[in-house]
Amino acid sequence: MTTGLVFSKIASRLGYHIYDFVQYPSLIRGGHNTYDVIFSDEIQSGLKWEIDCLVCLNKETFDQHKNRLAKDAIVIFDPVDIDETILTEVKNKVAVPMEKILTDLKGQAVMKNTIAMGASLAALGADLEELFKIIEEQFRKKGQEVIDFNKQLAKKGYDQVKNNYASIIKTVLQKKTTDEKIVITGNDAFSIGSVIADCRIYVAYPMTPSSSVLATLAAWQEKTGMIVRHAEDEISVINTAIGSSFAGVRSSVGTSGGGFALMVEAVSLAGITETPIVIFLSQRPGPATGMPTWTEQGDLLFTINSGHGEFPKIVLAPGDVEEMIELTGEAFNLADIYQTPVIIMSDMLLSESHQSLLKRRFDDIIKSYQINRGKLVNKISNDKAQISNQIQSSNIKTINFLRYQVTEDGISPRLIPGTPGYYYQANSYEHLEDGHTTEDSKERIKQVDKRNKKNTSYLTGHFQTPKIYGDIKAAEIVFVAWGSSKGVVLEAQKILGSQGKKTALIHFTYVYPLDKEKIKKIFIGNKRYVLVENNSDAQFGKLLQQQTGIEINEKILKYDGRPFWPEEIVNYLNK
Amino acid sequence: MSTIQDFSGYPPTWCPGCGNHGIGIAIKSALTQMNLSPSDISVVFGIGCSGNMNDFLNAYAIHSLHGRSIPTAIGIKLANHKNPVIVIAGDGDCYGEGGNHFLHACRGNHDITVIVHDNRVYGLTTGQAAPTAQKGYRSKSTPSGIIEVPLNPLALALTQGASFIAQTFAGNVTHLTEIIKLAVQHKGFSLVNVLQPCVTFNKINTYKYYQERSYLLPKEYQSGNLEQAMTKTMELNEEKFPLGIVYQDDRPAFTDQLTQIKDGSLVSKNRFTGFDLILKEFI
Repeated sequence: MTTGLVFSKIASRLGYHIYDFVQYPSLIRGGHNTYDVIFSDEIQSGLKWEIDCLVCLNKETFDQHKNRLAKDAIVIFDPVDIDETILTEVKNKVAVPMEKILTDLKGQAVMKNTIAMGASLAALGADLEELFKIIEEQFRKKGQEVIDFNKQLAKKGYDQVKNNYASIIKTVLQKKTTDEKIVITGNDAFSIGSVIADCRIYVAYPMTPSSSVLATLAAWQEKTGMIVRHAEDEISVINTAIGSSFAGVRSSVGTSGGGFALMVEAVSLAGITETPIVIFLSQRPGPATGMPTWTEQGDLLFTINSGHGEFPKIVLAPGDVEEMIELTGEAFNLADIYQTPVIIMSDMLLSESHQSLLKRRFDDIIKSYQINRGKLVNKISNDKAQISNQIQSSNIKTINFLRYQVTEDGISPRLIPGTPGYYYQANSYEHLEDGHTTEDSKERIKQVDKRNKKNTSYLTGHFQTPKIYGDIKAAEIVFVAWGSSKGVVLEAQKILGSQGKKTALIHFTYVYPLDKEKIKKIFIGNKRYVLVENNSDAQFGKLLQQQTGIEINEKILKYDGRPFWPEEIVNYLNK
Repeated sequence: MSTIQDFSGYPPTWCPGCGNHGIGIAIKSALTQMNLSPSDISVVFGIGCSGNMNDFLNAYAIHSLHGRSIPTAIGIKLANHKNPVIVIAGDGDCYGEGGNHFLHACRGNHDITVIVHDNRVYGLTTGQAAPTAQKGYRSKSTPSGIIEVPLNPLALALTQGASFIAQTFAGNVTHLTEIIKLAVQHKGFSLVNVLQPCVTFNKINTYKYYQERSYLLPKEYQSGNLEQAMTKTMELNEEKFPLGIVYQDDRPAFTDQLTQIKDGSLVSKNRFTGFDLILKEFI
């Protein structure tokens, strides 16, 4: 467990809501790594610019982040790394001789983290109880000696602050009685959601920032019974999942933009064969290899247009970990109901940032979740309509199931292969209702119309309009965002609210296809609409215009690989 | 009891004299002789003349993408490992476009039977050189003769860990039928490389060509001997074609090593609901 996550968990266990964000280069060792943790009495949805306590494990940390220090910030540092004279403007300096403690006790370099953690908890007024528990959990397998040694290091850091800097200590992190919380990332939330949804096969090829889903689900597979396959490439990944889905089990794949690019031919295959599949796509800045460990919402238009030919697909973009669990469950239902690809879009920010979620809320999601497998059947009634119009001679014992039967809603019954007495093919070529290949003009039109009808059925049956945060009627400024940009706008709204500004947010999670009439009703006239997107091309803005005719002229866009700071949005509006 | 007719879909559209006719008959005969019905098996077809068998063979099937039939078949097997899964692919399909999948499926010893219609040309796109084409083969895409040496499917499968490697000939339906039965019965990855004349585009590797250069492996041939098998597979370089099981071992199949499905197939299992078990680590 990384030290930042240890801090997040301690704060959560003490009763606070947390949000964290990790920044690291695409290297295994070295480079400048930072970990922001924000803890609050309120739900925290995004980052915060001002740092109240900066822990410097080297001088670079101070140099890079001094511009973010709050007026009365605490700076914890090792006098070996940082000469106190450069900290003249820092009011609350806390010197912790971490190197010296390590040398004295013969610890390893990585244990500096433990000393710093002890010091940080002291500086914020917490005790060591929760840290000790985590040390015990983390090092249980390594034995009592390792546990005791780590506790000793933490205590050294803690005592250094308690004994020498009592006046600086801020008592902001103390145990409160609150409901139990879990601390999860967007990737964790997708993993949990897929287990709840009874996904039985997950196939992936490692690609940042989606890789931790593969690791998490693989680690669980003996418990959950899910089969997790690390295939040779993303092409194999999605075709494997299409095979298993055809065979009747809920199947899913995960990747980032480059891997998804390799998958798109098979997205089209899922489209024409009408095979349900859930694709988890965690974006990072492209093109090509781009910036692997950073964040961007740059693949929206690619995703909605993915796959050659015309076929329906559904794209969902959760805004936070709670929505990720819920929409993952929904995605598996939608894939089964509409028998078509459903893509869940995340990005590095949502995939790798931890957020706290009330355990009670989680239990509610599980209780309310109902598996809906749509028109999947594994037993056939003697319904004549099901039986192919092929001439049945008495010699024929198996019947060609009408897999692509034309129906009112465009959705055909799907039979689990292996059902005795029947057979059918899922055909990559255009096909007749019974699955056989056709190039006939009328049959082609029938099947295209049938598949397209699923779009209409989805828009009337399951499409959800965007959620509104704040009062649009009263708002002077109405933000429009999709996916992971929700959090930052909510945080900006808090700040703007405290400045007396009335704002609202229209946040889209059901991003494609969009229902024109339902959405137009939400965008009432005479408002200042501001689009917030973590990309350079305002891709959602373009999609919204294409699908609904609504054009948003004012845009806040960011595409340096970093997520927005709420303060950037506030500053934009105040300039 | 099932009959050939149960498996017979549309009448084949292959060229008169095409080796695919023999392969199609052999597959149906083998399945019938094994007393399987169209409901008991899954077949994944690649794209090409071979893949066009999709309409001529009744079964639960996917007519998949060019080159991707193997991963699709692996997916079906993972979901329901109780039923046989057969891949019908061409040489360009399986060894060219899908080469990566082929070698990794050998490594994984996935319990699927891959029947490759090896005619050494791209038939459906009018005769371009396939990865198995002989060096110097002239075609629309290689007018001065192909520069590459042919891919050696048997040697590739052998070195990548396939546990059943056989070669047979579209002109010998009896042998073909027997080999397909053994391949489907084999637990693990089985390759059946079928030497298949393309009467329309390949004027070199004809029935006569293979009749002169192929031979049945003798009864005393030990298919479990890896070194000997290696030597056999290299006979391709001398344009000699051994027919029969070149190599076979009993390495456990991929699905045999998954504890998740030791008590039943994935598709038939009950839903997992121990959510608190996985939630602990997040508190």
